[in-house]
Amino acid sequence: MRWSLSFFLFGFLAAVHALSSSGNRLLVVLEDASEKDSFSMFWSDLEARGYNLDFQSPKSDQLSLFELGDRAYDHLLVLPPRSKGLGPALSPKNIIDFMDKDGNVLLALSGKSTTPSAISSLLLELDFHLSSDRSSIAVDHFNYDTISATEKHDVLLLQRPGQLRKDTKSFFGGEGVLAFPRTEPHTLGNESPLMAPILRAPATAYSYNPKEGSFSVEDVGVTGTQMALVSAMQARNSARFTLLGSVDSLRDEWFSATVQAPGGKKTETANREFAQQLTAWTFKETGVLKVGTIEHHLAPTAEAPDVELNPAIYRIKNETVFSIEVSEYAHDRFIPFEVPSDDALQLEFTMLSPFHRLDLQPTSRTENSTIYSTQFTTPDQHGIFSFRVNYKRPFLTNLEEKHEVTVRHFAHDEYPRSWKISGGWVWIAGLWSVIGGFLAFVIMWLYSAPAPAASKTKKSQ
Amino acid sequence: MQLWHSLLQLGLLASTAVPTVAASAWGFTDATVSVHSKGSGVGAGLKEKIPDNKGLSQPIDLGDADTLKLTLTSQEGSTAKRAHQVFLLLQDPETGLDISYPFNVKDNGKARVELAQKDLPVQFLSASEPLDARLLIGSFGSSKAYNGVAFQLSVTHDPNVPVPTVEAPKYGKLPEIHHIFKSDPQSPPVVVTLAFVGMVLATLPFLAVAWLFLGANVSHLPAAFKSSPVPHTIFLGSLFSIEGIFFQYYTSWTLFQVLPAVAVAGTVAFVSGSRALGEVQGRRLAGQR
Repeated sequence: MRWSLSFFLFGFLAAVHALSSSGNRLLVVLEDASEKDSFSMFWSDLEARGYNLDFQSPKSDQLSLFELGDRAYDHLLVLPPRSKGLGPALSPKNIIDFMDKDGNVLLALSGKSTTPSAISSLLLELDFHLSSDRSSIAVDHFNYDTISATEKHDVLLLQRPGQLRKDTKSFFGGEGVLAFPRTEPHTLGNESPLMAPILRAPATAYSYNPKEGSFSVEDVGVTGTQMALVSAMQARNSARFTLLGSVDSLRDEWFSATVQAPGGKKTETANREFAQQLTAWTFKETGVLKVGTIEHHLAPTAEAPDVELNPAIYRIKNETVFSIEVSEYAHDRFIPFEVPSDDALQLEFTMLSPFHRLDLQPTSRTENSTIYSTQFTTPDQHGIFSFRVNYKRPFLTNLEEKHEVTVRHFAHDEYPRSWKISGGWVWIAGLWSVIGGFLAFVIMWLYSAPAPAASKTKKSQ
Repeated sequence: MQLWHSLLQLGLLASTAVPTVAASAWGFTDATVSVHSKGSGVGAGLKEKIPDNKGLSQPIDLGDADTLKLTLTSQEGSTAKRAHQVFLLLQDPETGLDISYPFNVKDNGKARVELAQKDLPVQFLSASEPLDARLLIGSFGSSKAYNGVAFQLSVTHDPNVPVPTVEAPKYGKLPEIHHIFKSDPQSPPVVVTLAFVGMVLATLPFLAVAWLFLGANVSHLPAAFKSSPVPHTIFLGSLFSIEGIFFQYYTSWTLFQVLPAVAVAGTVAFVSGSRALGEVQGRRLAGQR
């Protein structure tokens, strides 16, 4: 509801720019103003997509994520600070509060310096884990850039990520090679379905602390694909948090660098496209779902072609049709939402627990939405039921719809008549034969003359 | 300007690096793999030598109580040297899951690692295919790193002990549920029903025959209608109409249509019935019945 309002507001401005679905006020927290120029292409890409960038130092006194109790920015981009923390305005609690109010956060780390413990505790709160010394970097002796990291092997060359799973949408795919210089890797907690890795390290990569002189087995941190370089967390309110392990990958020099893997060819990096995809997803330009109209009604039959829309009451064993209109926001407009091939949008008809859980099928498409629907028979159990669509998937905003209806039992005149039940014929015949017998008895009793033979024998005795 | 400068530097670095890449590569020698069972004597169990920079052809079994021990010497080119990364990488070819076990490496390149089944992640215990065990040997600098399959590791376990599994919560499609309806009430076969209907209806002719046999008749009908025609007609008519109203109630009428109709027909039956029964009483007093 709030989105649609903001769409109307921004619709006038959006004529030229692509725009996030949740606002364009972006706070960039950058400690060293002189560093700003080395990200100039990144900033100009963001500005070209309609964001109002506000650069602030974490030490600034005016910096606050909130104004009069509401959030002052729609999105937050934090570059790794040199100093020990991010200051009181960006404490872990404030950032979590910012997300509670639907703000999106992109947090970049760097392997060049030790990550402040404030950031580490924020990440722990979201179940991202850094190495205990918070200053590990990822190296890979098999996939590194031979041009810029001949000796240290700390510029990782990676393929653009494809689908996370077969049933998820790919928002970060594409051609090309990504260069990730001096990456601080992290691992994801195993208990939360809200988190998803976007980019994982190759199986041959590992992490270590470059500041320790000698190297022993105990120094090895996480290894292989357990090590995530870029990850996402989408909270229950669909606020997004993205953790980027390498801030250097956003620098101008890596947006258009030429890299070469060992034994490979020289190629251009695709960092610029990836940074665009990453910011577009984090700041809700992609993967945002919206529900349009929801309709449910009785299935029209030949006898009753016109049916009431969204009735409050159904009867048990009614043929019912449910349809839901879903759109997906893609950069600057809504497009029809298509469910990934191995996935399904599901309808549950529940009273405490689901009685039906059915896959909704796309039945028609409009210019900017797909209508999914299904038909089913209401269960033979009366009570208060609800139509529920609970669609929560990695990288897509959560859909949760609940529409309550009453399901009544048969009314007394809706059962089949007794003569239609063949087993009841015996009783019906019995009833009418008694009635017939009674009438015959009344006539016989009223008009019968005494039987002459019988009376004679009676008298003679 | 700065960018060009650094590119030039990088180019120079790369040009010096190229020949050394071709010159040396990481590898290993003196590699042996052994599996010891807990409780068995020294020298028992399997011991295999892995050829230099190659792999074993047959898979190695790792049981519940076994410990796998792998020793090797890492070398750059042909000189033994300590590498930064000497890992045993286990990979499930089906799921693509991987985990690495770092070797304990000495300065002279001698490295060893021990591995028991409890060190393996739970996901590997239920793997159906043997795991790929690869050796990763690499270090900083321009020497080419080594990555090759050393052997296949098949994890065996006691068939009587259930294999632990883990289920990480994740959002996704849930199995479909279709409500199972109670079955509709059934009627017996129509033939059986019709047989019983026939038996019930047969009582009427049976009753008629029995009455005729006992001498029932309607001989007083003309006399009754002659003495008081109106009460008899109306009384019989009201009785039939009451039954007709009941029939209407059964098929279509509602209770509030039936009640006034029955009240009217019942009153008529009461009034006309007392007259008609008076006539019957007259016949009895006259000794006719």
